[in-house]
Amino acid sequence: MMNHDFPRSTASIFGHPIHPMLIPFPITCFFGALVTDVVYSQSANPLWSWFSVWLVTAGLATGALAALFGFIDYFGDRRVRQARPATPHMLLNVSAMVVAGFNVLVHSRDGWTAVVPTGLILSAVTVLLLLISAWLGGSLAYRHGVGVTAIRPAADRRADGKGE
Amino acid sequence: MRARLALLAALGLAGCRDPAFDDARQLGPNPALPEVEHYLVPPIKVAPGAGWARGATPTVAPGLRIQALATGLRHPRFVYVLPNGDILAVQAKSRPPEPVRRPKDLVFPLVMAAASSYPGSPPPLSRITLIRDADGNGVPELQVTLLDKLNSPFGVVWANGVLYVANTDAVVAYPFTPGQTSIAVPGRVVTPLPAGPINHHWTKSLTASPDGTRLYATVGSNSNVAENSMEAEKGRASVWEIDPKTGLTREFATGLRNPNSPTFYPGSNDLWVVVNERDEIGPHLVPDYLTSVRDGGFYGWPYSYYGQHVDPRVRPQRPDLVAKAIPPDYALGSHVAALGLIFYTGDAMPQYRGGAFIGEHGSWDRYTPAGYKVVYVPFRNGRPAGKPVDVVSGFLDRENGKSFGRPVGVAIDRTGALLVADDLGNTVWRVTAADTAAAPAIGR
Repeated sequence: MMNHDFPRSTASIFGHPIHPMLIPFPITCFFGALVTDVVYSQSANPLWSWFSVWLVTAGLATGALAALFGFIDYFGDRRVRQARPATPHMLLNVSAMVVAGFNVLVHSRDGWTAVVPTGLILSAVTVLLLLISAWLGGSLAYRHGVGVTAIRPAADRRADGKGE
Repeated sequence: MRARLALLAALGLAGCRDPAFDDARQLGPNPALPEVEHYLVPPIKVAPGAGWARGATPTVAPGLRIQALATGLRHPRFVYVLPNGDILAVQAKSRPPEPVRRPKDLVFPLVMAAASSYPGSPPPLSRITLIRDADGNGVPELQVTLLDKLNSPFGVVWANGVLYVANTDAVVAYPFTPGQTSIAVPGRVVTPLPAGPINHHWTKSLTASPDGTRLYATVGSNSNVAENSMEAEKGRASVWEIDPKTGLTREFATGLRNPNSPTFYPGSNDLWVVVNERDEIGPHLVPDYLTSVRDGGFYGWPYSYYGQHVDPRVRPQRPDLVAKAIPPDYALGSHVAALGLIFYTGDAMPQYRGGAFIGEHGSWDRYTPAGYKVVYVPFRNGRPAGKPVDVVSGFLDRENGKSFGRPVGVAIDRTGALLVADDLGNTVWRVTAADTAAAPAIGR
């Protein structure tokens, strides 16, 4: 049985919200780009800067997909929007994507200045924004129960005298 | 408002206007060099090809006349005159697409493609066409394919009974007596030249020393500014000296980003070349140039430009090499894409004797187009003296932002007329003095 006390995830498959399934992709890409930027800044081997620009590009593509389902959840249930971390979470993610959008252009420059210093700074800012945003996203899932469709904990159910 | 414009400009989104700058300040020996800019999106204005309407021609300076010598060619890039007056038009396909290293490599070719063809233009072919206009009236009696299925050729030179062709991957020799209109024997590879898999600047041009004992081939860089690492630049951005007998080579001069049309100043052993400089640091950086090249000379690329101006995009830096960088002799303007060079030795247009004609293919890395014309640089005592003058222009349809044609290689025919290879327009143009519509053939 569904517990309708929790804010509902509109974009979900068999009760599994899609947005949290997708966000590891952009987060990993953007964090990876920061790593390859740092390695490039220490080595000047252009291969690392090419890794970076592909990672930022892949982060933008998978991030756009994750954002699509995030927005569906955000606009799909008023209770999601009313959860206090929801709007800051959304704005931080949008900001991270905008920063990454500039970053892919910076990373498309030729040579050293594709990364150092602006590209590296933008990669770090993207990761920082996503770290804060991920914390808020965690709050939405684990404290506000957005998208949670499980039955209430077993102890509660026994106290209510209801069986499985 | 002003602050907002400045901000947008800083973001590279101001769009479609270059900062105010007098281009004339970048012509001649001491060009003004603005500060390096770094862009989110560099200024780009590609003039899509339109082709020439029937009967339409470029425009020429007063006292001159222009007509098409040969049409229906397949992307003619270079033109060369044999000792008997026969004219060779070198046509070339571009090398295969570069391997994709960055997302940018997927986007850039799409942006650039429009500039090298017009709707309905026949695809380029890698061939050399022989054009014979024995009576010198500007109407050829013969136009025949001399060599076909070459590998993106550009340079060609004849010396001591041998026709040398610079394909993109090798200099090839064919025994050849001027007057021949076909070549039956396969070419002999004199020396391979740096080519794939990237082969960014692929046009290898060629000349012979005045005594014909040495060849000089140009090999352009494999990148804009060494962003593919210096490993990819071995033997590149340089002028090679080649012993045609043994095939032994050495780098004669280096640090020349994309040198083309090496040419000896008539009556001297001074080798001159036109060079395309680097992109994406501003509409007014870096001026392309005409320079004499010294044996062993280093001209800066990629570490510095115009002498000791360090390019911040290159790592590791090489202050030791920058200290040795020779400033070029004569700036032609930023992004004009100077590819053709010939010194005028004819009699038909005496006002040009001793100076240089330079074919400027035209810009893409600035909003205000530059180049798209043939200019004349006067010389005195074997050195440039004075500002360049437009000789052939009107390649660009400024109203519609399209190009009718684009000039590349230049040559002087036996009558003293100026020949211009127009790769987009698939034409070789012939420029004569206005009052000698059909000049008699003049022996040299």
